[in-house]
Amino acid sequence: MVNRKMKQTATIALTAVMALSLAACGNSNSNTGADKKDNAAPNAATGSGNSTATNAPSDKKVTLTFQNIYPDPATPNYKMIRELTDAYMKEHPNVTIELDTLNTDQQKVKLKTQAASKEVPDITIVNPAAQMKPFVDAGLLAPLNDMLDQNGLKDTYQKGLLDYYSFDNNVYAIPDGNNIEVVYYNKDLFAQAGIAAPPTTFEEMLQDVKILKDKGITPLAIGEKDSWTGSFLFMNILLRTNGGPGFLQDVIDGKKTFEDPAFIEAVDAFQALVQAGAFPDGATSIDATAGGNIFRTGKAAMWCIGSWETGAIDASPVAGKVGAFQFPTVNGKGDPNEFMLAPGSAFAISANSEHLQEAKDFLNFFGTQYPKKQFELKNAVGIGQKVDGDLKAAGYSDLAVNIAGLFNQVKGGDLAFDNTMNPATAQVHLSSIQNLFVQKMDSAAVAKEHQAAFEANK
Amino acid sequence: MKVLKVPARTIAAFIVPCLLLYVCLVFVPILVSFFTGLLKWDGLTSSQFVGFGNFKEMFWHDPVFWPSVRRTLLYAVASMLEIPLCLGMAILLNRYVRKGNTLVSIYFTPVILSVVIIGQLWKTIYNPTSMGGMLNGVFVSLGLESWTHNWLTEPAIAMYALYLVSLWQYFGYHLLIQYTGVQNIPDELYEAAKIDGADGFKADRYITLPLIVPIFKISIILAFIGSLQAFDLVMVMTGGGPAHATDVISTHMYNSSFLSFKYGYGSAIATFLVVVCLLFTGVINTIFNRLERKFN
Repeated sequence: MVNRKMKQTATIALTAVMALSLAACGNSNSNTGADKKDNAAPNAATGSGNSTATNAPSDKKVTLTFQNIYPDPATPNYKMIRELTDAYMKEHPNVTIELDTLNTDQQKVKLKTQAASKEVPDITIVNPAAQMKPFVDAGLLAPLNDMLDQNGLKDTYQKGLLDYYSFDNNVYAIPDGNNIEVVYYNKDLFAQAGIAAPPTTFEEMLQDVKILKDKGITPLAIGEKDSWTGSFLFMNILLRTNGGPGFLQDVIDGKKTFEDPAFIEAVDAFQALVQAGAFPDGATSIDATAGGNIFRTGKAAMWCIGSWETGAIDASPVAGKVGAFQFPTVNGKGDPNEFMLAPGSAFAISANSEHLQEAKDFLNFFGTQYPKKQFELKNAVGIGQKVDGDLKAAGYSDLAVNIAGLFNQVKGGDLAFDNTMNPATAQVHLSSIQNLFVQKMDSAAVAKEHQAAFEANK
Repeated sequence: MKVLKVPARTIAAFIVPCLLLYVCLVFVPILVSFFTGLLKWDGLTSSQFVGFGNFKEMFWHDPVFWPSVRRTLLYAVASMLEIPLCLGMAILLNRYVRKGNTLVSIYFTPVILSVVIIGQLWKTIYNPTSMGGMLNGVFVSLGLESWTHNWLTEPAIAMYALYLVSLWQYFGYHLLIQYTGVQNIPDELYEAAKIDGADGFKADRYITLPLIVPIFKISIILAFIGSLQAFDLVMVMTGGGPAHATDVISTHMYNSSFLSFKYGYGSAIATFLVVVCLLFTGVINTIFNRLERKFN
């Protein structure tokens, strides 16, 4: 009896819940319906000659989706995006900004899927140069020139930086940073292994790797399940063996092939690093975040990554123990003042956004407040915009000041592989480099594989 | 139809909505994906018709495709071989355990866990010794250092490590199906057989096995199709790496479409997958229909 009664109650409760949720659906639907109508009104007004209407965002209730790649609550970026969106929503009570927060790799795939059905979120993240070109070609991103001219936003960016996000004289995205690749090292662990100074040549670096390995310390942290990490390191070696930047561009222009001695030398050098046991065991199953944590928790001595990690390192348990050095010369080749350049991921607006004007207004606010907020959060190193204020005086760490100093030495360099080459070739490259972590390969065969992929996907 | 004594219109009213949904959600996408398989298309900009070019590349020039097919089929075979084991276990449970339901529920638990959780769980089990992997830890403490491996990153064994996780997860699922099947065989049959002198395994041979064939077939087909579509576990644990060593058909399709921006090529792989699924389902069905006829 009890059983049956309980069943009845459960059924009734369930029905009630379903009815409620259905009603909720109905409600939100009618809301969005109203939204669309409200929005259509000012647009219609513009059509009849009232051009000021588009410049002033309306007071209608608007929801913007902001897809972003700052999922880790331990990092300053996580706080930055939340504090800035909250500040904007306070000033504009009619605007709600929903964050769609994903890992870098997940976001790339999600955006691609959304793009295939032309449903790009109002504000999203794209990557510079070759990676964002397909989206621009497909007409999915809105030009931001007018937005950049407002409140002097354009002038806050470093000279030439916006070029990586411009096609046919239109800027389609604004970057979250402009970084260089450096090697962070844990001074405590170096001292523990009896290494006096950071290496200045690749041969010294190999030597240090062996010393660290013998002491039971992981020499180089990496999260190679996200295969760009290994490629980023490899490309720095290539930048040295090639004696300067431009190798990939030369390949694209047909002046060189991947079977060039510089490339083969780079593969050999990289394999020497793997064979010396530089990387953690099972590196190819560690994702990028976990890979970084190996360094940030003091379990690895070095970490070769973009300077964007400075703020996160200063907020981690190894803060104060970390220094950074330039990637060393390889076989005596290359100039340490040439860096792997990493113009940051960038914020773009969907060309098909229902609330284009509001999205632009928000992004303008976001872009102008971004340097101040990052400075406040001690994350202003490598942000690509001019910052007012002295780092040291503001209490920035020695590491941050050190990195900021490296920026002044930059004499040029290369972009990451997937920012230069088309996606299909880049994928072959990424998995080819990943393979080097688990198998010793003939470097000529690696070069051949690259060349074949490049020719097949021209 | 006449047996039911219901007008055709009523029958149609009940069938049509479902049929429409099914056609729209299953058949139309299959046809669309077959069509996009004939295009050279990055998924964003305009496409170019290349006929069977994608299929030609897939069958003759893609170094990742056939190995991934081999891994997928091996996986399918492994998960089908698991079913007889489940059936044996179900028979034993039914005979020797008074309240078998509790045990079956326990075996079933991994099935209700999300694959992502299972993946993370087994990653910590498989981790290298230096990262505190449980399995390697056990080997070390038993003095079997030579048995330790980087289970998920050594190309030669990574795939088998994945098979094991999946077989472990779905063991309870097939056990439940088989157990229910065994329980549904009427007791009278066994009693009658006992009088005739057929007891224990003899009764299983002549009563349980023939009567369980339809249930067995369901499990086999589910296991087969499920393993052809294996995707999530691979994605969570290895992402198809290191260097494609654990790529199966569906992860290869995903990587081609979404990472290499070769949407048309990815669709061609999807078409291949659909055809293989249909073909093998047909074959399995025919084999079992023969079996059933033979037993009846």
